[in-house]
Amino acid sequence: MDRELEKALEIVSVLITGGDIKKTNEHAALYEEFTSNAGVYDMVISMLKKFNISLYEYKDGLYVSPGENNKIFGYTNEEIKKELGVRLNRELYLCYFIIYNIITKFYNSSGSSTFTEYVKIEDVISSVDMNLKEIIMNLNVMSLDDIEQDSFKEIAITWEDMPVAASEENSKRAGRGSKVGFVKLVFNFLVAQKLMLESEGRYYPKDRFVAMITEYFEQHKGRIYEILKGE
Amino acid sequence: MAQEHILIRDIIQDHSERMLNIKKYYPYFKLSENAFTQFQGGKYEELDMGYILMAVLRFFIEENNFKEKDVYYEEYKEFVREIYRRDFMIPLDEDEEEEVSAYIFDKIKNDGKPFSYSYFDPAEKKKKTIRIKIIDSRIKNDKIGYFITSDAIEFYLDTKEVKDESTISISQVLLSKMISAKNFKGGIEVIKRINNEVGRLKARKNEVLNILNYDVFNGIKIYEEFLNSVIKWFDEEQKLFIKNMDLIKTALDRVESDSEYYNAVDDIYYLETELKMTISRHKELLTACTDLQMKADEIIEKAKFSKIKREFDFKNALGMIMEKDDTTLLSHIVMPLLGININKSFSLKSIDKMLTLKNDKKEANEIVKDHKEEEHYVYDDEIEDERIKHNFSNLIKELMECVFEYEKFDLVLFNTRLRNKYGDDVFKSSDYYSMLVHLSQKSEYDMDEIMEKQDTFFEDYLKEALKELDESQYRGLKLKLIYDSKEKIKFFEDACVTNIIFKLDYS
Repeated sequence: MDRELEKALEIVSVLITGGDIKKTNEHAALYEEFTSNAGVYDMVISMLKKFNISLYEYKDGLYVSPGENNKIFGYTNEEIKKELGVRLNRELYLCYFIIYNIITKFYNSSGSSTFTEYVKIEDVISSVDMNLKEIIMNLNVMSLDDIEQDSFKEIAITWEDMPVAASEENSKRAGRGSKVGFVKLVFNFLVAQKLMLESEGRYYPKDRFVAMITEYFEQHKGRIYEILKGE
Repeated sequence: MAQEHILIRDIIQDHSERMLNIKKYYPYFKLSENAFTQFQGGKYEELDMGYILMAVLRFFIEENNFKEKDVYYEEYKEFVREIYRRDFMIPLDEDEEEEVSAYIFDKIKNDGKPFSYSYFDPAEKKKKTIRIKIIDSRIKNDKIGYFITSDAIEFYLDTKEVKDESTISISQVLLSKMISAKNFKGGIEVIKRINNEVGRLKARKNEVLNILNYDVFNGIKIYEEFLNSVIKWFDEEQKLFIKNMDLIKTALDRVESDSEYYNAVDDIYYLETELKMTISRHKELLTACTDLQMKADEIIEKAKFSKIKREFDFKNALGMIMEKDDTTLLSHIVMPLLGININKSFSLKSIDKMLTLKNDKKEANEIVKDHKEEEHYVYDDEIEDERIKHNFSNLIKELMECVFEYEKFDLVLFNTRLRNKYGDDVFKSSDYYSMLVHLSQKSEYDMDEIMEKQDTFFEDYLKEALKELDESQYRGLKLKLIYDSKEKIKFFEDACVTNIIFKLDYS
């Protein structure tokens, strides 16, 4: 087989099986091949494009994203629920909302970081509290029948109905019973997804997280805005 | 009982210290009260003694401590004269100015006596008197020079951070004075104040960085203010640190020979250790500020770039999602972050569940209705590519028609042809100019070679245009481009291009 094709296949196979290719890890030779051989580079890009996978380079490393609605390489909502350990849709969307809050703790926009080094569970809880504050305030005067499915009121109720911590003994255990536990569930998921690194209750963003935020959203902003505007 | 003891100690034992601490404020209030009402029948009542006093103190700090010279009466007079004219706009003739300045000077000097006030010391059960001078004098080269006292500097510093000067520098000037006056305990207090200031500036640095991140435009103003009030003083502050370290060293050298220094040796050593720590903290502040400068440059650079290029704003996007009140939209942000899903088989648990058909004891798992279909999006860059392709093809077709018609022609003729056909709007299109840029990459185009291999973006389009012609029309044809740098073709106010002569050549 053509040597360049073989190398390109090797790179693609590492990437689609969830491996990291970095200048400093065991795949340094593949990284070198990707960056210095234009033939290999073109082949990798074209193969991944056919799989509907986007590739991003950040700080001497290669990272891939299946994007949205990628039926072969992406996750379905059901699979994400399983990974997260939640059952109800409103719990899933609350997890998404928590992830969104974590993103905004580190980034204002795809090109502007907040220079925050790490976040703790309590930071995320106050951020979610703040973003749902207005909805929660109105909940007192709202009839429960008015609450539509998949609305923010629904996740606000789920959030508001949880105590901050389940009990003193297992206050930092992941679970659906408390705000702390819920945020911990989300962080566990992000750690498993190689987006975050945990040390002594502090969560640091990994290069993969930064690469996705700065590159993916930069590239797809037009399309995402269109979806959000409902155009 | 213990509580009561503390209360009594606070009231009785510490009273003297409290009185000593507030003495620096006494002259200000004494002077500013009714200062001009009795003078010349209240003729100059509009003048504000409090303001004039603060201005004079700042002037003395500048002259004594930064320029390191005494102030002579003439200089003082000149300075206050400026104040009457600039700030009070009171028309005073020269004699009046002379008279008022002398009156103020005597007041500030308290007619040559220290300001004094009495208080009762409950610890010693007797009345004590505190004395304080603001301005002192000495004779040098047969001239009387005036200088500010350390109490007055301390008072001035306590009123507010000095905007145009570094607080650290001024505190250090005070420290020098205290060391010279053998007041080492007072020196330690000043160092504590410097440490506070260094800590405050470090915290301020982080605040500036945060503001820059959230609001670049306001952040730049605050950042520049911070640079002016902190970074530009570093050199001077470091010089003063060295000077003070030298003073402490000299004091330590004198310990052996001078009993006054000998008795204070512990304080001097403590002062030395504290100052060394302060110098190290000050260096850390310098590093932090250098880091701030680098980060600020990066942020400003990015902000300039993003003014042209729109970024994906997470906060704004969240606002849009919340306004639509549709939490499913959040998946558009979260899904792309996730890695590749490599688990494609059923888990053993699921197979087991299917086989045994157990019912869920807990709440049922809801299914998310994925009604979204993979959509076909036309991206902005694709629309743009299509436009460029369309415009380039038309322009190249026109160019080729000119080539066949005239064999030799220039850009002016080509432009006239375009104007006749498309109107002036064609020159408002950036594609026209970008086509010229691409065209100018070569000075000769060989049509046979282009049909075989295209080196440039322009050649790709040229090939497409040639394909539509009969092969005999372009076979063996070469197009030469001669750039006439003397002749410039002007389009708009600031837009002009060099004329190009196109010449056909058959090989």
